[in-house]
Amino acid sequence: MADITLTAAPILGLDLTLGANTLRERDDLALVSVATPQGGEDALAKALKAGFKLAMPEPTRSTQAGDTHAIRTAADQMLLVFPHDGPDANTMVQGKLKGAGYTTDQTDVWVVIEASGPDTLAALERLCPLDLHDSAFPVGASARTVMEHMGAMILRMDADRFLLLSASSSAGSFAHALETSYKNVI
Amino acid sequence: MLINHPLLGPRDAAEFVVKGDAALIGRPDGMTASPQEMHDYAYLRDNPAGTHRELWYHEQGDRSWLVVTRDTLTHEVLDVALARDVARAEGRSR
Repeated sequence: MADITLTAAPILGLDLTLGANTLRERDDLALVSVATPQGGEDALAKALKAGFKLAMPEPTRSTQAGDTHAIRTAADQMLLVFPHDGPDANTMVQGKLKGAGYTTDQTDVWVVIEASGPDTLAALERLCPLDLHDSAFPVGASARTVMEHMGAMILRMDADRFLLLSASSSAGSFAHALETSYKNVI
Repeated sequence: MLINHPLLGPRDAAEFVVKGDAALIGRPDGMTASPQEMHDYAYLRDNPAGTHRELWYHEQGDRSWLVVTRDTLTHEVLDVALARDVARAEGRSR
């Protein structure tokens, strides 16, 4: 019998420097979506506070505790983004929430790209239909939208640092669109 | 065209899919309605020149269903509400 060992691999292995900007895949992050049970908002808010020290994210905003972000993705759903090694992120979240939310592991579903640098806003403005100016989309703001015809999530981590999520199946096209946009504005 | 989403604020109409007449929310009870009532629900739509209520789906967004009231003559969007709230107000959902 062949002795096969499975090892985790990044989806793209993207790590680009474009002028003073960087575009790199964050394959160190796990993604777990949490849906609110009907009538269970208060119980989930308490469990999230106790388990992750996180407040429930309001629409268009995210909350943060340390390296863990909670992004509001829908009326009764959020996405937890946190550094995690191994395939058991969902089990870990379930253990901390103790049944207060319905969880689904989304780690392999999305590619996560961190875009940062002084030209990032200009590059994203050409792809993202949302107003990303600081007054409309401040640090901590998040949204699910469409970029270059591909569904995407966007989270502003700093003034010139964004976390971008898109479907892993079209990750190459998404990365290409980002790289092209940067090259057009640098 | 911008749709002023009740939770998310103004979003581009390209993020949405239009389903059509919001009267679809008022489905008759299939166990008691007459065949004529079910036929009317399934096939008959009003096509007003003026104010119209439509179901819109925020597919490239938060996946919510909205009831958008708009003027079909001027394309002015008069009101946007979550379809869930509208359905509950009309006694359709829990």
